[in-house]
Amino acid sequence: MTVAVQAGDLHKRLGSTQALAGVSLTLGDGITGLLGPNGAGKTTLLRILATVLAPDRGTLRLLGAQPAERSERALIRARLGYMPQEPGFHQRFTAFEFVDYVAILKEIGDRRRRHDEVRRVLDLVGLGDDAQRRIKALSGGMRRRVALAQALLGDPRLLILDEPTAGLDPEQRLRFRELISRLAEDRCVVISTHQSDDVSALCHHVIVLDRGASVFAGAPRELCDVARGRVWLADDRSAGARLSWLTGDGRHRHLGNGPPAGAQLVEPTLEDGYLLLLAPPARAAA
Amino acid sequence: MSTHVDPDLLCAYAAGEIDAAHAFSVEAHVVRCPTCQAAVAPLADPARLDRVLAAVEDELDAPRVGAIERVLRGLGVRADLARLLAATPSLSLSWLSSVALALSFSVLAAHHGDGGMLLFLCLAALLPMAGVAVSFARALDPTFEIAVAAPFSSVRLLLLRATAALATTIAMAGLAAVALPGIGWSAVAWAVPSLALTLASLALATYVAPLTAFAIVTAAWLATVLVNATASDDVLAIFGRPAQLVLVALGAGAALVLARRIDRLDVRGDL
Amino acid sequence: MSTPSTVMPSDESLLTAVGAGDRAALRVLYERHAPWLTLRLARRCSDADAVDDALQDTFVAVWRSAGRYHGGGAVGAWLWGIAIRRLIDALRRRPRREFFSGERETLEPSAEEQVLLGVQHGDLGGALERLSPELRAVIQATILDGLTTREASTLLGIPAGTVKTRAMRARMLLRQELA
Repeated sequence: MTVAVQAGDLHKRLGSTQALAGVSLTLGDGITGLLGPNGAGKTTLLRILATVLAPDRGTLRLLGAQPAERSERALIRARLGYMPQEPGFHQRFTAFEFVDYVAILKEIGDRRRRHDEVRRVLDLVGLGDDAQRRIKALSGGMRRRVALAQALLGDPRLLILDEPTAGLDPEQRLRFRELISRLAEDRCVVISTHQSDDVSALCHHVIVLDRGASVFAGAPRELCDVARGRVWLADDRSAGARLSWLTGDGRHRHLGNGPPAGAQLVEPTLEDGYLLLLAPPARAAA
Repeated sequence: MSTHVDPDLLCAYAAGEIDAAHAFSVEAHVVRCPTCQAAVAPLADPARLDRVLAAVEDELDAPRVGAIERVLRGLGVRADLARLLAATPSLSLSWLSSVALALSFSVLAAHHGDGGMLLFLCLAALLPMAGVAVSFARALDPTFEIAVAAPFSSVRLLLLRATAALATTIAMAGLAAVALPGIGWSAVAWAVPSLALTLASLALATYVAPLTAFAIVTAAWLATVLVNATASDDVLAIFGRPAQLVLVALGAGAALVLARRIDRLDVRGDL
Repeated sequence: MSTPSTVMPSDESLLTAVGAGDRAALRVLYERHAPWLTLRLARRCSDADAVDDALQDTFVAVWRSAGRYHGGGAVGAWLWGIAIRRLIDALRRRPRREFFSGERETLEPSAEEQVLLGVQHGDLGGALERLSPELRAVIQATILDGLTTREASTLLGIPAGTVKTRAMRARMLLRQELA
């Protein structure tokens, strides 16, 4: 398994905030999920991996090359696909025209080959029949798919997707999962998301960022295990819980350092682990 | 139509082994009979039909070529580069119309004395640089992030767009100059300053953020023009021969700096 | 691919869908009509590239003008009208090549063919057969294909005046035969 991304001690300051404060990671083939609250530095990290930003400090190797070297950057970019969080479009373009425009920037051969490639990626994301519709006439979910399609141009070895499922309905999200899991078989995919169920369904590796630092890196099951023995259901609120909320079936779900007597211990989910990891310190003494 | 074409006759028709009268008869029938249309379908060459269908889809999806792109291609620019250039913010119709408007007003002003002439020359010297600045403005290129992450050299794209913007704006200013009162030196007095300002701002952009560079150069230019206009009798002295020579030297120096530090222009997200 | 005939959409409904931007409907229309259109076009012109171009232009035109189809059930005829005119355009764009009117040596009509022909045209079949190829081509173009004199002259590669005289002569001969 080749190493697609090798990053050491990445620092990045944006304006007055330290967006990244020493993040290290090593990624190979498969899907890695990036979780974290807003402002945690996920987008900054992804931008650095996509060679859109340069880190202030730290080492970075992408696909075996150094993005710090100008000559190697073009080589990396030729095998990289990036879907930004807020993709901008030339509104007058049709979906086909936009993806074709990006295909020119990706230097994908002559017109015939380029158009074939554009059609291929549009078919992959299910927009084959809407290729000639203007972007401004497309729904939000379809625009995201256009943004995903352009990232898939050229069959990149490293795929970086920033919140790819935001705004997609469950059916679209399912289609997306099917597509990404197929693609991840022979490339490295990095996804940042707020949806922990995307992570548990898709990712074999999870990284949690908080305030510019990595607070967890491992398998999804290990993230679940963070909350093992600390998740319980009760009929009432519990003062000893660090987090709790009323679930749909009328009971309270509590996350904390030890269930009180009589509470029902339950199997932790990935989200439980994530929430506990990032929860503010307990209000009451344990 | 209760009777259909005999299958053997259809085969003969498809193979071309049929006389005209029978062919007429078959054709007159097939054109309005879905059953026989379906019967004929397997008799045509499928590979050829697929090829044509692919060509149809290609043509329907094909990017529309706008007017600006057509002009560029007519000028000999490669088709894919023309496509990239046509998406330049400063080649957009709205920018070009604004430039045209500004130039028209200043030409009118120039017909009303030296003050108006100064306005025209000052503007005509600034507009080409402004056109280049607009192509740098990433806020105006919505696909900025995606473009940076692509292999096509961002510097190359930027310079291509800057050149296109420069050429277009200079051409427009030149056309406007034709409408000035009295042909003469004043018609081209803005040309050297415009190039010098553009080169100076690009050179400065290798040190500071590009938009800051453009702002600094604009401010310096306006200040110089203003100072000169108020301090000396000849309001247009700033465009006189000695000043032009100074600007030529400035432009040449800036070009040298730019050539040496061109890779500092490499666009990253933190511009 | 086989669709049960109970759910197969009519040509008219497909055209409506195409007019609304439904690409899949265009593909179905293509699958249904492109084969017979190609075969019929090929019998008007021996230049296969011109025929392919005409077919391509036809369906691009169908996409763009599906809204202009005014019903009446004769979708096939509408399509043919577009196709033959696109072929003429394609031929106009090309340097003149030789065309033929698309037939081989006259064959002895078999018994079944005779019957079929007889049902539709009476003795017209025989009379047509006895015309010369040039006259027959003009009849095909002006009557079967419904072209104007100018269109027929471009298709056949002969001057418009010749089209007129040949058409007159052919009609005269046919009238004599059938009288």
